[in-house]
Amino acid sequence: MSFELLFLISVVAGFIGAMSGMGGGVVLIPALTLMGMDIKHAIAISIVSVIATSSGSASAYVRDHITNLKVAMFLEMFTILGALVGAAITVASAQRPLFIVFGLVLLGSWAALFLQRHEGWTPVAHQDAFSKWLQLEGKYYDQAAGETIEYRGARAYFGGPLMFGAGLIAGLLGIGAGAVKVLIHDLVMGLPPKVSTTTSNLIIGITALAGASVYLAAGLIDPGLAAPVILGILVGAFIGTRLLVRLTNQKVRHFFLVVLAILGIEMILRGIGVIQ
Amino acid sequence: MIALEGTTARHQLTGAKTAGFDMEVLVGYILLIGVLLSMALIAIGVVWRWLSTGQLGIAYSISGMNLFDFVLTDIRQMFSGGFRPRLFVNMGIAVLMLTPYVRVFASMLYFAFVERNRKYTLFTAFVFSVLTYSLFLR
Repeated sequence: MSFELLFLISVVAGFIGAMSGMGGGVVLIPALTLMGMDIKHAIAISIVSVIATSSGSASAYVRDHITNLKVAMFLEMFTILGALVGAAITVASAQRPLFIVFGLVLLGSWAALFLQRHEGWTPVAHQDAFSKWLQLEGKYYDQAAGETIEYRGARAYFGGPLMFGAGLIAGLLGIGAGAVKVLIHDLVMGLPPKVSTTTSNLIIGITALAGASVYLAAGLIDPGLAAPVILGILVGAFIGTRLLVRLTNQKVRHFFLVVLAILGIEMILRGIGVIQ
Repeated sequence: MIALEGTTARHQLTGAKTAGFDMEVLVGYILLIGVLLSMALIAIGVVWRWLSTGQLGIAYSISGMNLFDFVLTDIRQMFSGGFRPRLFVNMGIAVLMLTPYVRVFASMLYFAFVERNRKYTLFTAFVFSVLTYSLFLR
């Protein structure tokens, strides 16, 4: 596969990933496999690019003091273990099951994102003792609302183990699995949407690194192929994020979500062997 | 700096006193510099390759190497004057992988020495140890 082609595919993947909010990996991996790349190599390269995109966007949010470093640190203990296990499974697995799992996870997190409603965040009324012990609270300045929002996280005893699962998916499939992480932050731990998305961004970088270490050791990361992908994904994500600020139209976002749904179905069909 | 409600007076104090040391800003800059440096190194490698051979692609693979082997090989090549496009691409990937790792290391020092939060020092140390172990995998 030529450098130019890899670069172009990655720009598009980074762009759609940023526009849809699902991350670059979910487009990159199906696209690379369609071009004839072995799915394990595609996953391994994708997870390295995930480190780049998540660290890049996390850097801005962290400096704005929206990310909660304690929530991130606590949950990272679980996600990295999940990622190590997930990546080890992929290295040992056959190709076809990976296509099927990839398709299913894509459709699942797609549905989560599609159905997500952001209008209401209800602060946690009663913080449990464990979450209190973990000091899972914080505040941030909301620019849109023009006020400082204080919040407390809850049910960390649930959130932690569930994040192992999110890490497992990330390591297994070479994606950020941000939709899964945000869902856990929002629904289980009761964090405000802004805090949950930005904190998930920070967690994704460490989780991807844990997964990438396994793929590197397995010899699946090819620097010559990773180079255009890393550059392309970052360029695409940068353009996508810039456009996203201007385009508040939900329809645009929904259009990209439909593209992702098609990719999910396509991966499942290839895994079953209906299409080649 | 998150000033926590209900934490000890000591934390409140460090929170206020460490105004000159903002951990979140530091973490933000570690991530930003890491990603930009990595992109620059990879781009240099690619452009150099293109200028010298007219081709953009660099086809080679590395096998059975962990990140530390990878970094050591790069450094050794650097000192033996082996500056080649490939070395820059390798360094770019190594820098990228080390970026979150350095972030965790910095957080660990912060929790241990600035915030003096034993609980979170332990949590961060755990994450750091697991990552170190996994980066030594072969």
